[in-house]
Amino acid sequence: MRTARRSEPSDVNTALVRPDAIAETSGRWSASRVLAASVLVVIAAFGIIGPLMLPDPATQDLSRFLEPPTWAEPLGRDDYGRSVIARLAHATRLSLVLAALCVGTALVLGTAAGIASAWFGGWVDAALRGLSEVLVALPALLVVLLFAALAADGSLWTLYIGLALVQWVEYFRVVRARSGLVLGSPAVEAASLLRLGPVHVLRRHLWPELRPLVTTLASLGMVTCILAVSTLGFIKVGLKPPRAELGLMVTEGFPFYDSAPWMSVAPVLVLFLLTACFLGLRRTEVTT
Amino acid sequence: MSQLKLHELTVRHGDDALVDVADLSLEAGRALTIVGESGSGKSLLAHALMGTIAAGLRVNGTMTLEGAHYDLADRANRKQLWGTELALLPQEPALALDPTMRVRGQVAEGSPGFRKDHASALRRADDALDHLGLGHATGAWPHTLSGGMAQRVTYAAATIGGARVLIVDEPTKGLDSDALDRLADLLSEHVAGGGLLITITHDLRLARRLGGDVLVMRDATVVEQGPADQVLTAPEHDYTRRLLAAEPSRWRYEWMAAPASDPSAEPLVLAEGLAKSYGDTELFRDVSLDIRPGERWALAGPSGVGKTTLGNILLRLTQPDRGTVRHHAAVSNGKLQKLYQDPALSFPARVRLADAMRDVVRGHQVPEGRVESLMGTLGLPDDLLGRLPGQVSGGELQRLAIVRAMLLEPALVFADEATSRLDPLTQERTMDCLMSELSRTGCALLLVTHDHELATAVADRHVRLGEAAPSHV
Repeated sequence: MRTARRSEPSDVNTALVRPDAIAETSGRWSASRVLAASVLVVIAAFGIIGPLMLPDPATQDLSRFLEPPTWAEPLGRDDYGRSVIARLAHATRLSLVLAALCVGTALVLGTAAGIASAWFGGWVDAALRGLSEVLVALPALLVVLLFAALAADGSLWTLYIGLALVQWVEYFRVVRARSGLVLGSPAVEAASLLRLGPVHVLRRHLWPELRPLVTTLASLGMVTCILAVSTLGFIKVGLKPPRAELGLMVTEGFPFYDSAPWMSVAPVLVLFLLTACFLGLRRTEVTT
Repeated sequence: MSQLKLHELTVRHGDDALVDVADLSLEAGRALTIVGESGSGKSLLAHALMGTIAAGLRVNGTMTLEGAHYDLADRANRKQLWGTELALLPQEPALALDPTMRVRGQVAEGSPGFRKDHASALRRADDALDHLGLGHATGAWPHTLSGGMAQRVTYAAATIGGARVLIVDEPTKGLDSDALDRLADLLSEHVAGGGLLITITHDLRLARRLGGDVLVMRDATVVEQGPADQVLTAPEHDYTRRLLAAEPSRWRYEWMAAPASDPSAEPLVLAEGLAKSYGDTELFRDVSLDIRPGERWALAGPSGVGKTTLGNILLRLTQPDRGTVRHHAAVSNGKLQKLYQDPALSFPARVRLADAMRDVVRGHQVPEGRVESLMGTLGLPDDLLGRLPGQVSGGELQRLAIVRAMLLEPALVFADEATSRLDPLTQERTMDCLMSELSRTGCALLLVTHDHELATAVADRHVRLGEAAPSHV
């Protein structure tokens, strides 16, 4: 009886307006999310610990040209006799760190700009929206390529800046739209009548509403970043050899696909697992 | 003579009985109204009858309609009756309409043979809408309709299939008395035309208007039933008596004695020559009023006349088109508080109430234990604070909103339809809590309501909007 009495009056108030409000607290992880998270942990551990324990990925030993996998060298050696597993560990670390930096920067910038835009409105909103629309109008990879072309040495910095610049727009647009709704709500009006100040509004009203949105965007952003870096490596406009990078490794392995398939299959597998796991990490009951 | 009978109906959730009604019969030409507070199982009964009840609930019982028996445990066996024999007018009609369809097409869809013959279905929809006085609105979008109009459109859509059994679920939420009268006329017409009508409501005015039989539900069971004039005038059960006494016109409280008002006191809010219009529609003009400490003002009038807008202008939350609002220093810095129609929307939705309250306590150096003592005074258990706003019932949450407002010891509280969605017992409890706190602290009240009885019971100064010119009484 207790459950009935409490749930019925809230039918109208909450069930129709915020079906997710209660689901949020239970916060149980589904089996697929647990699986995705554990595979990610394994890959991340490989990327962090691997480079510390494995031999130098640049050491060449031409006498061990295309050596097949052994127990000591589980992924064999490449066309320069370099250890493939050591190169893979370095490439994984590079992908994850670069993607995390880009996503982190884009998330902070985009969220801050989105909140500022909704909060202040007026010319702040107009300027930020204009800027974001310019970036939306350009294909994302083109912007990254432009930046990569600015510094022809294939440095990490240009990739980082290019990717972050492309990605903040997504956070900005989503956060601005949701913040506008939240800031116009009776709850925020009540908070302003209670003189609770901007910190309260940010912490209690905006952030709890935005957090599920930006974490979902961030896990998608990781995928976009990792794939963009490897795509550029694959078409040889991103990072330059001899740096170990997943896309570059795929390209380098292709000529030997029949004699040494491990060379190209290993980076493809890591890319596939990273993509699948970051996608699997998303909440399925994302708020709309 | 068509007849509907229910036998041994129970609805259970786990081991809890949510509805337990032994026998119920309904005859054509005689309305049946089920009254009771929120959570008494009234709406579940209606949905069990329709076969639209939520999946987690177990239903048992049989229904007999026109000599045919239906097992209520099987949700699907009444589907073919929907629209043609059984129809439901849902709660919150505005949400039941498709926002992307014009009114006319939406009503026509329910007409039998719509798939084969659109033109005659549309003609029938026009006739139905015309009959309801909505002939001018057939091409309108749902969002442009007022609450009363949306309800009549939903009524047309629900009844165009010619269903004789009409179930109406809480139709009066947020309706002003004019719209309520129109609705009662419609429902009476359905009964007079040989239809069967079950109305579920907590509004006793509607129950009186419909006549017929009344059934009082509490805690899943029927506590009293009989002819309306008997049950609603000489109730036998104690609970029915309390339900009747909860109507504002019958309230008797200490705080109802008019507070001593000091005409020489500086007004808290001084408004002169206010005017506001939205687009071409003028809401009001030349409204002037001064609210002095301890006064109780009511802004009354039918829905859509700008009561809430005027209140917001007086609080300086909205800009008037013309006129000025001046605030005394005594209402600066949080001494002016507002209570909202839907309390769930006035708290941050994803934050536990304890955290929301703690911010107020810290921000204003409220003395330790003040929240707990106020909650105790208003009869709220402490463990409520551990929940999210969506997990607390409307009445309790509104009382929590009162606690939150009173923490700042305000000089003026603006209650915007604060109890209009609550059932009468909860409304009485909430209003009693609010008014006791206000009279204890000498705080002024600005009440917006469409309920004249409530306005009369609570306030001693009235502004009526929606007439030629706003009038002071």
